[in-house]
Amino acid sequence: MRIGVYVCECGKNISATVDTEKVAEYAKSLPNVASSRVYKYMCADPGQEIIKKDIEELKLDKVIVAACSPRMHEPTFRAVIEDKGLNPYTLEIVNIREQVSWVHDDKKKGTKKAKSLVKSSVMRSALMEPLDRKRVGVTHKALVIGAGIAGIQAALDIAGSGYQVTLVEKSSSIGGKMAQLDKTFPTLDCSACILSPKMVEVGRNPNITLIANAEVEQVDGYVGNFKVKIKKRPRYVIEDKCTMCDDCVPVCPVIVHDEYNENLSPRKAIYIAFPQAIPASYIIDPDDCLGIDPLICSKCKDVCGPEAIDFDMKPEIIEDEFGAIVVATGFETYPIENLGEYGAGNIPDVITGLEFERLISPGGPSTGDLRRPSDGKLIKNVVFIHCAGSRDPAKHLPYCSKICCMYSTKQALMFKNEVRDGTAVNFYIDIRTGGKDYEEFYQRAAEEAKVVYIRGKVSELIQDGAEILVKGVNTLTAETVELHADVVVLATGIIPSQGTKDIASVLRLSLGINGFIKEAHPKLKPVETSITGVFVAGCATGPKDIPETVSQAGRAAVRACNIIAQDEIEVEATIAHVDEILCRGCGICVGTCPYSAITLIDTKRFGNIYKVASVNEALCKGCGSCAAACLNSAINQFGFEDKQILAMIQALGEE
Amino acid sequence: MVDQKKLVEVAKETLARKDVKYIIGYKKGSYGFQTSAAFAYTPKDVEQFIFTPLCNKNLAKYPLKEEKLPLKRGEEEDKRKIGIVVKGCDSRAITQIIQENGMNREEVVLLGIPCPGVINQKEIEKRFPNQSEITEINEINDEYVFTIEGKEHKIPKQELLAEVCKTCDYPNPVLYDVMIGEEVEVNPKEEYEGIKELEEASLEDRWEYWEEQFQSCIRCYACREACPLCYCSTCMADLLEPQWIRRSVNLSENTAWNIMRAFHLAGRCINCGACENACPMDIPLMELNKKLGKEVKEMFEYTPGLDIDAKPLLGSFNPDDPEEFIK
Repeated sequence: MRIGVYVCECGKNISATVDTEKVAEYAKSLPNVASSRVYKYMCADPGQEIIKKDIEELKLDKVIVAACSPRMHEPTFRAVIEDKGLNPYTLEIVNIREQVSWVHDDKKKGTKKAKSLVKSSVMRSALMEPLDRKRVGVTHKALVIGAGIAGIQAALDIAGSGYQVTLVEKSSSIGGKMAQLDKTFPTLDCSACILSPKMVEVGRNPNITLIANAEVEQVDGYVGNFKVKIKKRPRYVIEDKCTMCDDCVPVCPVIVHDEYNENLSPRKAIYIAFPQAIPASYIIDPDDCLGIDPLICSKCKDVCGPEAIDFDMKPEIIEDEFGAIVVATGFETYPIENLGEYGAGNIPDVITGLEFERLISPGGPSTGDLRRPSDGKLIKNVVFIHCAGSRDPAKHLPYCSKICCMYSTKQALMFKNEVRDGTAVNFYIDIRTGGKDYEEFYQRAAEEAKVVYIRGKVSELIQDGAEILVKGVNTLTAETVELHADVVVLATGIIPSQGTKDIASVLRLSLGINGFIKEAHPKLKPVETSITGVFVAGCATGPKDIPETVSQAGRAAVRACNIIAQDEIEVEATIAHVDEILCRGCGICVGTCPYSAITLIDTKRFGNIYKVASVNEALCKGCGSCAAACLNSAINQFGFEDKQILAMIQALGEE
Repeated sequence: MVDQKKLVEVAKETLARKDVKYIIGYKKGSYGFQTSAAFAYTPKDVEQFIFTPLCNKNLAKYPLKEEKLPLKRGEEEDKRKIGIVVKGCDSRAITQIIQENGMNREEVVLLGIPCPGVINQKEIEKRFPNQSEITEINEINDEYVFTIEGKEHKIPKQELLAEVCKTCDYPNPVLYDVMIGEEVEVNPKEEYEGIKELEEASLEDRWEYWEEQFQSCIRCYACREACPLCYCSTCMADLLEPQWIRRSVNLSENTAWNIMRAFHLAGRCINCGACENACPMDIPLMELNKKLGKEVKEMFEYTPGLDIDAKPLLGSFNPDDPEEFIK
C-alpha cells in the first residue's frame, strides 16, 4: 500500500492558521505514506501535475488531499487520479480549510488538529476499496410541475430543444399569479399581453402535453427514470367540445366567490377562470355545482349546444415516466388574516396588494373603475403599507420578499395615472430597488407622478366614518403622521405555496427554514435540488420577480435537458449494501430511507424463509441514514464502511 | 390473582387448536423463588402451568429464540402458531417486536393475563438468602403469603414489588387473543420519579456513578439474553470486523457495551425490567432505559409497544419534524 498525501496552502487561506510543512512532515511518519508534499494551490494545474507525477513515479495506490471541503474539489481530484488509472473512489479529502483554518485562529492548535485529521484519513484511506459507478438508461421526457410563468417558460424551453414535456397544473388554467396581474414593473407592460402569447404557445406546441386541473400524487424512481402518478380531477366539461360560447353561465343558479378576482366578485359554478385561460374551456366547480351527485340541476347541460357537459366524468390517474422533473409550484401571499394589527378582518377596506391589483385591472371586479370593496365608492386616497408582515422575525416573516417595494410603487404609479387628482402614500422601512431599471422606476413614481413616500411604520388604523384614519410616524423628520385614506393596501410578502409544500413531501425535497425548497447550492446550483434530476424554478425556492423567475426557468430547462438528452447516465457509487446474514429483517432502514430505496425481500436459507433488506442501487443516494439506524450494522455504505469510520475514530482518539 | 384453573383450561383449549404448535407459559422453578418457562406440547404439559407473583420473566423472548432447523427437500416450514402467556409488559414486548417486523401477528396466539405486579427477585432472595426449597407465593389482600420451614410469612406487597411494577402504566395486556380473568385497575403513576435524583446530579457525579456501576460489569450479556427486544441474530457486540467492542473486561469496554445496549433500546424498551432482573452484578440498567424512554416520550411523543401498526420511532422519517430539541 502506497499513499500520497498532498497538503494545500490555499494561498493564505490555510497556511495562515496551519503550518502546512509540519503537517506534511508528520504525514510522512504515518503508516503506508509513500509521499507527502505541500503546494500553494493544489487544485491549480501545477498542483494537479504534482499528484499525477507522483502516482506515476512512486506507484501510488491511494491519494489524500488535505485542502478544502470535498463539496468543492472532490470531483476535481477524483478526475486527477482517474486520469492516472486509479479508482476515483480511493481518493480521500481532508477538509483543513472549513474545518480548521477558517474556524480557528491559534496556529499551534490548528496545526495539531490538521495533523489529527490527516492521520485519521490515512487510516481510512488504507481501508478504502475501489468502487464502480453504475449506469442507467434515461427516459427522454421531462415533467414540469406548476404552470405559472416559471413552469410555462421551463416547458417552452424544454419543448424548444426538441424534447417531450408534460406540464401539470393544479388549477383549471395555466398562467399562475402573473395572470392575475394588471401590469408589470418596471415597464408597466400589460401582464396579459406578455403572458398570453406564451400560454397560447403552450396549448399549441406539439412537444407539450398540458394536464390542467391535476396534481402529482406520487413520484417513484430516480434520475432518468422517474415514475409519476398524476391525478387529473374531472372538469365535467369536455375540453375539445367547449366552444366558449358562454351560454351555460347565465342559466347557472349557483353564485360563489371568484378566486381569480381575489373573491371580490361573484362567479357561477360553471365558469372560465379568465377570458384568456388555457385550456380554453369552461369548467364546473364540483363543490358548488348542483348537477354532480345528486343531480338536482342540469340547466347548463340543457343549454349547451355542442353537448360539452358530462356530469359523469371521473377522476383519472395518469401514469407516465420522465427523465427529469422541474418543480415550479410558485408562491402564495402572506395571509392578511395574520395582520390584525393593521385592521385586517375589522376594516373592510384594508386589502392586499393582489386585491388592489384586481381592483385596478380593467378585467377586474369594478372593471377598472377603482371602486373600493366596502361601499363601491371611487377611491381618491390610497395608503400603501410596505413590509406588512415581512422583515418582522418576532411576529411574522423574518425575510424580505423583495418584490413588495416594487409592486407597491407600481400600483401607486398606476393609481396616479388613473386618478390624476388622487393621492398615493407609501409607508416604507427601506425602498429596495435592486434590479435593472428599478431605481429609475421608483424615481419616476416619486418625482414625476408625485407618489408620496414616508419612511416609517404605521402604528394604527382606525375606521373613521367612511374613511380609514392612518396613524404613523415619519422617522426622517421624527414627526407623527395622521392622514385619511379610502383604502389601505398591505404589501404582503411571499410565502411558499401549499403546492410547494405538497410536492416537497411527494418528492422528499429538503426545505429551508422558511419552508421554501432548498437549492443544492445557493449560488452555484440555484435550480438544482437535493435530488438528482429534480430541478426547481421561480418562487418555490424563495421570493423572486418575473425576470429572475424567467431566467431560472431557462436554467432549469437546460439542466433538465442535460439529463434527458443522454442515453445513459451514471449514478452514485457510494450506496448502501446489506449483509444478509446479519440482517434481521426488521425494516428499520426501510422507514428511515428518505428515498424509498430499501425494501424487505424474502430469502431462503436451508429451506426456511427469512426477510432481509434489499437496496435499489439506482434509487439510493448514499445518505447513510440506514447505516446509522441499523442496530447491528447489517447495512453499510460503500465508501463509508463501518470499519473505515471506526479506523478514523480510533486514530482521532489516540492523539 | 389469576385463577390458575382457568389458565390451564384456556391453555388446553388453545393447544387443541390445529394451528397451534405449542404454548409457552410459566412453571415452578427448580429451587427457591425461581419460576421457569414451560413449553407445553401436550395437554399434560399444560397441567404444570402456573401464574404467581414470582412469574417475573418476560416470555416474549422465547419465540424469537426458536431455532429454525434446515428443511429437507420438499419439507414445508411449520407455520403453526406459538401460544404465549403474556402479562402487560410481555404483550408490549410482542407488540413492539411485531411493529419492528420481528414477527407477524399471525405467528402467535396470546393468552393475556392482567398482572397485579410481580416480585422483585433480588429483594426476596436478599431477605431469604438460604432458601433453596421451591417456595410458592400467593398474593392475598395486598400481602405476599408463603411458608418457609413451616413458618408462614406475610410481607406487605409494596415491600417486595418489582420497581418496574410500581410505576407500570400497562398491567393489562395491550395485545391478546384470549384474556384470562378480569382487567386490573390502572393507577396513573409518576413514572420517572426513580431517575429524578440522577437527572439532577452534576455531569461529573453522574459519570462517577456510572463508572462505578460499569466497573462491576462482568460482560456476561445476561441483560441482552433476557431482553425480549435484543433479538438480532448476531449482536453488534459479537462482530469481529469491525470489532466495535473488544472482548476484554475493563471499564472502557464495559462502558461501551452498556451505553450501546441502552441506546439500542431507545424508543424500544417497554420497561419490563428483565435486563436488570437478570444482571448478576446488580447494575441498575433500568435507570438508563428509563432516562432514554423519558427523552423519547418528551421529544417525539412516542411510547413503544402500544400499537402494532405504528412505525418504530427510529425507523420513521418525518420532514415536518420541528426538531425543537436540536440546539
